[in-house]
Amino acid sequence: MSKLGTVIRFTLLNKLRSRSFVVMTVIFVILSMVLGNLPYLIEQLGSEDKVHSVGYMAGQHPEIVQALQAYYASREKADIRLEPGASSEEELKRLVQEGEISGYLTFRDNPAAGFPTVTYHSKNALDSGPSRSLSDALRAVKIDLLARDVGLTEEAKARLLSPVDFRSEQVLTEEKSGRTPAEQVANIGLAYVLVILLFMSIMITGQLIATEVTAEKSSRVMEIIVTSVPPLTQMFGKVLGTFFAAIIQIGVIVGALLVNLSLPHNSGILAGIGIDLEALDPRIAVYAIVFFLAGFFLYAMLYAAIGSIVSRTEELGQATAPITVLSLAGFYIAMFGLNTPDSPLVVFSSYFPFFAPFIAVLRETVGAPAWWESVLSLAILLVSILALGWLSAKIYRTGVLMYGKRPTLKELIKAMKAYKV
Amino acid sequence: MVKPLTVDRIVKHYGDKTAVNGLSFEVSEGEIYGLLGANGAGKTTTMRMILGLIMPDEGEVRYFGKPYGKEQLSMLGYLPEERGLYPKIRVSDQLIYLAQLRGMSRRDADASLRRWLEKFEVPEYYGKKVEELSKGNQQKIQFIAAVIHRPKIVILDEAFSGLDPVNVELLKTAVKELRDSGTSMVFSTHRMEHVEELCENITILDRSRPVLQGSIREIKKRFPRERVVIAADQPIQGLETVPGVRSVTKEGDGYALVIDSPETAQAVLRHALAQGPVRHFELLEPTLNEIFIKTVGERHE
Repeated sequence: MSKLGTVIRFTLLNKLRSRSFVVMTVIFVILSMVLGNLPYLIEQLGSEDKVHSVGYMAGQHPEIVQALQAYYASREKADIRLEPGASSEEELKRLVQEGEISGYLTFRDNPAAGFPTVTYHSKNALDSGPSRSLSDALRAVKIDLLARDVGLTEEAKARLLSPVDFRSEQVLTEEKSGRTPAEQVANIGLAYVLVILLFMSIMITGQLIATEVTAEKSSRVMEIIVTSVPPLTQMFGKVLGTFFAAIIQIGVIVGALLVNLSLPHNSGILAGIGIDLEALDPRIAVYAIVFFLAGFFLYAMLYAAIGSIVSRTEELGQATAPITVLSLAGFYIAMFGLNTPDSPLVVFSSYFPFFAPFIAVLRETVGAPAWWESVLSLAILLVSILALGWLSAKIYRTGVLMYGKRPTLKELIKAMKAYKV
Repeated sequence: MVKPLTVDRIVKHYGDKTAVNGLSFEVSEGEIYGLLGANGAGKTTTMRMILGLIMPDEGEVRYFGKPYGKEQLSMLGYLPEERGLYPKIRVSDQLIYLAQLRGMSRRDADASLRRWLEKFEVPEYYGKKVEELSKGNQQKIQFIAAVIHRPKIVILDEAFSGLDPVNVELLKTAVKELRDSGTSMVFSTHRMEHVEELCENITILDRSRPVLQGSIREIKKRFPRERVVIAADQPIQGLETVPGVRSVTKEGDGYALVIDSPETAQAVLRHALAQGPVRHFELLEPTLNEIFIKTVGERHE
């Protein structure tokens, strides 16, 4: 046991000291700081409280222009100011060119609709800010004018305009209460984050573990190490050491993100987007952690085994490709399943051990699996981890002594028998 | 007394190929045992079996009378033929790590490392990375890695290859000191002069089989003395005409002869004395190199 500790300590310390690890962590911390402040930055840059001046042709539909003016006058923060009408379109065009106004409106009669077709001319047809504002304003104006024409009372108008109070709530088979849409949104967000986090951890640390095993093998330190420690101890020590390094790295990055999100200028933004962290279920956190750990170790051991049969680091990418594809497939099925957590593919995948870490946690978060479904997928996963751990240790034991060309499966099995591992 | 290391009729097959076939030997306390053989003769496989990396198909290896087990790991030291250390990690970090894996405490390992670095007169390497050291100095570090934990049994695979003569002497002295302090060693090399200097008993392996075993002195006695060196102030004529002389080579101011039997040597001496005084005459015992080539080479013909 103390040897396991020694291996873990050595792996962890060397990881933390290595330049690439430090550089990568710093880059990710900077990225997460930028990401944490992104909503604020966008708000700062995007919401210039600029008032757009908009011109119009004098004499065209004065009642609409008047109503528009009244509409913007009644607003607290009007983003459009209507400039006094110009006499000709040429003049309006000139004003736009000179930058006096942002754009201008023209009206064309449209008897079928009972309201003229309005065109907003501006230099930038994609300038959505004023267009959207004008379109909203015009809709309000149209309803007002129409209501006046048919003689609706204010009360009737209010009733007409009030939206239908429609709600949806999830039905769950268990005694757990269904989730409200707000919770569901928060859960989808959570599932998204969990799946990405798991995928990234597997990809990064998996490659790290494989690279390290191969490097040890190609530098032949392995020969000394396998004669000092049982290979199983060594493999688990390596996997655990890298795991702790990864946890520290993720912790630092997520910590940086959280610190930045909780800065005063960012408060309210999260709530504004509709993410309510309080709405999250603590039970899901437990599931997430269990499946995260299980998934991590499942893949980490595979990577260690693959690393052990490769003699040179250059060949590693090719050798690990099948695992990479497996984890990618799990990742994409999870992404696809975010909105369809009950599709047969997702349900089946949650029992397939290589996909389960991604999918089961997704179903738990977004879908509504029966309790036995969750237990079954976890049980399959745990059994697979034990079986693969055993197999990986054997491959590792054999692989570290085989040099030269990457062995085929047949050669590996033959060698396993010969070495009596 | 129980021998530190007993190899008992071990056999190892790789598929249909036999790597080691019925090898037995014993190593006493404070003995360096020589394991010789051409490339592919089964030396590395034998060492791997002694180290417990692979299990023999038949027979067994015993350590102080006990079979292989995890508790045996800490008494073994290994200097692999293919040298390997972590290139980017400091000497102190990795050697202390390796010693800890062999069951040594951190502090003992540190003290032991410093002592060895002093002995090799390179204490300044303590904090250096391995990749910063020259190849010869990496060898020294590698050697320390094999013995830092004071093992009872050390396996040295080509211990002196790639070293300059000064460093060879340095390591040889260290090996002798270890021997004198009671460490048992298995020593494999192609350099026969090292074996003659260090080992008492040897095994010569040829294509998986032990073909020659025993103490070097005994082995040499089994091979006839077939070389004569003779020198005189004046040239000696007609040496090749003496019956039993196979070849004559002029070497410096003397002659080296290969003869059929030790008796021929006397005939050669008489022949030379008839021509004048002889300054130097020697009937040489065979070198290990000759014995090796004779044993292994003949079987290959």
